[in-house]
Amino acid sequence: MAGGGGQLKAERPKRGKVSKRKKMKRVGFYLDMTPLVDITFLLLTFFMFTTTMATPQVMEMSIPPEIEDEVEVKISELFQIFVRNDNKIFYTIGDEDPQEVALKDIKSLAERLNLKDAVKNKLITALKPDTSASYGTVVGILDELNLAEVAITSEISKSIDSTGNPTKRQRRFTIAPISEKETEKIKGL
Amino acid sequence: MPKIKKKRTGFVIDMTPLVDITFLLLTFFMFTAKFKSQAESEQKFSIQRPKVSADTSKVPDKDVAIVKIAVDTVSLDTNYYYELANETDRPQVWEMSKSLTPEQRIKAQIKVNSLDQLSELIKNTRQVRASTKFAIDADKRLTFKWIYNAMDVLRKNNATVFNYVTEKRG
Repeated sequence: MAGGGGQLKAERPKRGKVSKRKKMKRVGFYLDMTPLVDITFLLLTFFMFTTTMATPQVMEMSIPPEIEDEVEVKISELFQIFVRNDNKIFYTIGDEDPQEVALKDIKSLAERLNLKDAVKNKLITALKPDTSASYGTVVGILDELNLAEVAITSEISKSIDSTGNPTKRQRRFTIAPISEKETEKIKGL
Repeated sequence: MPKIKKKRTGFVIDMTPLVDITFLLLTFFMFTAKFKSQAESEQKFSIQRPKVSADTSKVPDKDVAIVKIAVDTVSLDTNYYYELANETDRPQVWEMSKSLTPEQRIKAQIKVNSLDQLSELIKNTRQVRASTKFAIDADKRLTFKWIYNAMDVLRKNNATVFNYVTEKRG
């Protein structure tokens, strides 16, 4: 490129004029960047509008595998959350009567129940949504329970287990459909 | 007064910083742009994902199989869809699944006819590549029955760890 430019200059016939110009002060050169900016802005706006910033994220779930024999659990260590077909949420601890709970209160409720001395690190959380409850509500509850896990884990790890390490949080969680008996129980509430 | 006589020959704006910034932004957006996959461009539905608090975990890019449960925007019926991200595994799995119709076979994303077919697809996916991760991408307005059935199929095929695809709240 540079060589080509030099050749062109050499072929110029009128040297006189060139020398006249030389007297003018050269202050550098201006490159008209307008078309460049036009195109760049066009592409920029295109990419800006087509980008989706809210990329989907995931919530990990692990469900117990299919097993034939039933596992026996203490009723006092069972924290059950029911979702009724109208998306109202109820909970029971042990064999107590179900009580209604708001979605935003589940976090504090789960924290409180999990940190009771008697059931610390033993409590089993069972989420039992009605088959006609909405998926959005179920995921909302899962999210609240996940948020509660932060406080629970940090509280539990304060104590030291037999090996001298901080106690590991053992999360026991299951998701199962609601039984007819349980549906009946929360029907009139 | 002689200053007024000076001829104005127009003005020049130095556009260099403007170009610098614009190119910077352009390259950023170009590199972060993620285009729709073949499966996504085929689908006739959009999924309203459930909103949860912010998390750093993202949907894995490769070796992921997504069970989508969505409402068709035209016919308004709910259906299961099955997408397999790995393009080398996909023909193999499609080939192994005998219940697929010829129309289903040519698609990158399968509109699943029945839960048995979904089970067959998941089983074959696990056979082709055992490390495949599963995800359920469902519309938040759907009843839990749809999701529970899909979970049950996953459980029966020993895929007990999977993901729910969600979206950041706010």
